[in-house]
Amino acid sequence: MASAPRPERDLRLLAGCLPPYPPPPPTVGLLSMEQQETYLELYLDQCAAQDDLAPPRSPLFNPVVPYGMYILNASNPDTAFNSNPEVKETSGDFSSVDLSFLPDEVTQENKDQPVISSRHETEENSESQSPQSRLPSQDIGLGLNSSSLSNSHSQLHPGDTDSVQPSPEKPNSDSLSLAPITPMTPMTPVSECCGIVPQLQNIVSTVNLACKLDLKKIALHAKNAEYNPKRFAAVIMRIREPRTTALIFSSGKMVCTGAKSEEQSRLAARKYARVVQKLGFPARFLDFKIQNMVGSCDVRFPIRLEGLVLTHQQFSSYEPELFPGLIYRMVKPRIVLLIFVSGKVVLTGAKERSEIYEAFENIYPILKGFKKA
Amino acid sequence: MNNTAASPMSTATSSSGRNTGKSISFATELQSMMYSLGDARRPLHETAVLVEDVVHTQLINLLQQAAEVSQLRGARVITPEDLLFLMRKDKKKLRRLLKYMFIRDYKSKIVKGIDEDDLLEDKLSGSNNTNKRQKIAQDFLNSIDQTGELLAMFEDDEVDEVKQERMERAERQTRIMDSAQYAEFCESRQLSFSKKASKFRDWLDCSSMEIKPNVVAMEILAYLAYETVAQLVDLALLVRQDMVTKAGDPFSHAISATFIQYHNSAESTAACGVEAHSDAIQPCHIREAIRRYSHKIGPLSPFTISFSLTECLPQEWDGFSSLLM
Repeated sequence: MASAPRPERDLRLLAGCLPPYPPPPPTVGLLSMEQQETYLELYLDQCAAQDDLAPPRSPLFNPVVPYGMYILNASNPDTAFNSNPEVKETSGDFSSVDLSFLPDEVTQENKDQPVISSRHETEENSESQSPQSRLPSQDIGLGLNSSSLSNSHSQLHPGDTDSVQPSPEKPNSDSLSLAPITPMTPMTPVSECCGIVPQLQNIVSTVNLACKLDLKKIALHAKNAEYNPKRFAAVIMRIREPRTTALIFSSGKMVCTGAKSEEQSRLAARKYARVVQKLGFPARFLDFKIQNMVGSCDVRFPIRLEGLVLTHQQFSSYEPELFPGLIYRMVKPRIVLLIFVSGKVVLTGAKERSEIYEAFENIYPILKGFKKA
Repeated sequence: MNNTAASPMSTATSSSGRNTGKSISFATELQSMMYSLGDARRPLHETAVLVEDVVHTQLINLLQQAAEVSQLRGARVITPEDLLFLMRKDKKKLRRLLKYMFIRDYKSKIVKGIDEDDLLEDKLSGSNNTNKRQKIAQDFLNSIDQTGELLAMFEDDEVDEVKQERMERAERQTRIMDSAQYAEFCESRQLSFSKKASKFRDWLDCSSMEIKPNVVAMEILAYLAYETVAQLVDLALLVRQDMVTKAGDPFSHAISATFIQYHNSAESTAACGVEAHSDAIQPCHIREAIRRYSHKIGPLSPFTISFSLTECLPQEWDGFSSLLM
C-alpha cells in the first residue's frame, strides 16, 4: 500500500519483523561453574578490548528473552530478582551470543526450561521444542520447579566480580539486567501477537565519569571527536562498534546514543570511558542508566487511524497535516507509540525492554480492531 | 465573482492585487484538502479557486492587522504574540490554536527522542527548543490576561465540538473505503500549507509589507489558513444539505439546518432522485455559506461587525454559534 511520504523519517529505523526462531548459538549450552567463571573473565576482557566485539547476531536473540523473562518471573519473582545482577555477566559465556541478560537459572536449568531451547543446543531441548510455538513452552515453563531454580541460584553466588554493579537493590541501573524487578502484571499469552516482536532501534543512556574533563584536550587527541564550543558545550565522539555517538561534557557526564541493545549501550559507554581514561583522566563508570529505549515493528496490515483516534480520544492525537502518524500515549506502561497507516509502529519512552513489549502487546488487539481490509 | 462584497472583511485591493501577474495558485492542493475534509472524491476546480480567494483575503487582512499591532509595539517582525493578541476575543478558536501549538511541540519532542541524529541536531542548535511554542503562548497570555479567562484555557479540557464533528465525519468517510482509496485519502489529509511553506510565503506576498512574520508566526498563519478551509467546507456541507429538497419527508421544513443528517440520505436520495452527498461542493454553496455565516468565518471573526439575521434573533436561536465555532 502506498503509504506515508518522505517526512516520516522514522521509516528508515523500521526494519522488518524478525524471524521468530533465530539460528542456534554456536556453543553448547550446559556449562559447569568453573567454566562459567572462566567465561566471565573472558567476557570482561572482551569488554575491555577495542573493536569488533559486538556479537553480530545478538539482536536476533533478543526476542526470545522476554518470554523467558516473563515465565521465570511469573514462577519465581524472588529468585529472579536476586539473581539478575549476578547473572548477566556470567552468561556472556556464549561468546557470540548476547545472552547476558538471562538469569543464570536459565543456563543451568535449560533442560527444564524448554522456552529457552532455541538458544541452547542441548539435544533434549531442541528436539522437543524447536518446532513448537511459544505457547506450549510457556505452559511447561510455568510448571517449573522453583526449588531447582533456587538451588542453581545459590551455586552462582561467589562467581561474580568487578564490573557487576554490587547493589542488587538497584538492578535497574545496570543495563544488562532485563528482568523487571517487580513481578510482571499478568501477561497475555505471547501467541496473541502472532509472534511479532518489536525490535530495539535506539537506546539513550547516561553515565557519570566522575571527573572534570578538559574537552579541548580530548578533542585534540581522540579520534572521531568533534568539539565546537561556540555551538555546543560538549565533545561529540563516535565509535564504529557498537555504532554509537557520545556527548561528553566537561563535568564528566556522558550521554551515549545509537546502540541497539542495553548491553551494546553499556559496552559502548565503557569504550568511551576507556578512551577518556587513556587520555589521562581518572575516569570511572558510575550510575550507568538507560534513559530511553526506542523500538519498532510492523503489524503488516493497514490501520484506519481515523477510527482509532475517535475511539481512543483521551490517549491519541492524530494531526495528519502535522505528522503522518497517530501519537498514542499509553498510560500503563508509560510509553508513547507512533502508529502509522502502513502498520508500522514505533514505541518510545521506555526505560526497560519489557515496557516496550508490554506496550506492543496492549496495542496489538486494538490495532487489529481497526484493520483496514 | 462577487465574493469580496459578500465577505465584509475583504478589501478591494487584495483581490485586484492577486489578479495582476500572480501565478501561484493553491487550487490543486486545495482540491486535495477539501477531499480530506469531507468533500467529494474530486472537488470542483471552481470551488477550489473560490476557496483560495477567500482564504487569501482573510489572511491578508489578518496580516495587515497584525502588522499594525506590531508597529504599535515598535517591533520589527510580526511575532506569534501579535497573532495571539488578535485572536484573544474568540475563546474557542484560540484554544484550538493553542492545542495545535502544543501538539506541535510535543511531536517534535517525541520525534527527537527517536532518532539520534535529531537529538544531536537539537542539542547543537541550543537546547531552548523544547516546548518553545508553549512557552511563547503561555508567557504572552500571562501578560495580557486581566481576568484569568485566557490562562484558564490551558487547563481547559472541554471537547472541541467542531473538531469532534470533523473527526466523526472523517471516520465515516473512511469506513467504507478500501485500502487503496484509504491510502490516497491519507495522503490528502497530510497536505497542509505548512508543508509547502515557501510556496505559501510567496502566495501571501509579504514583500510589499514592511513588517514580516517570523518563523513561528508563519506556522500559525499556515495553520489558520488550513482552519479557514476546514471551516468553509464544514459550512458548505451544512448549506448543501439544507438545499436538498427532501420531497418525501413531511418534516423537512421544520428540521434545523444545524445538523447534518447522514442516516437520512438514503431516503432523501430515493425521493428526489439526486445523490445528495456524493456531489462535489459547488461554488454557490460556498458563497451561500459565506453570506450566512460571514461573521463567523476566518481568524478575524471576532472583529467583524455583522448585521446578519442571527444577531438580531433572540439568544436561544443562536444555536449556530456553538456548532460553527
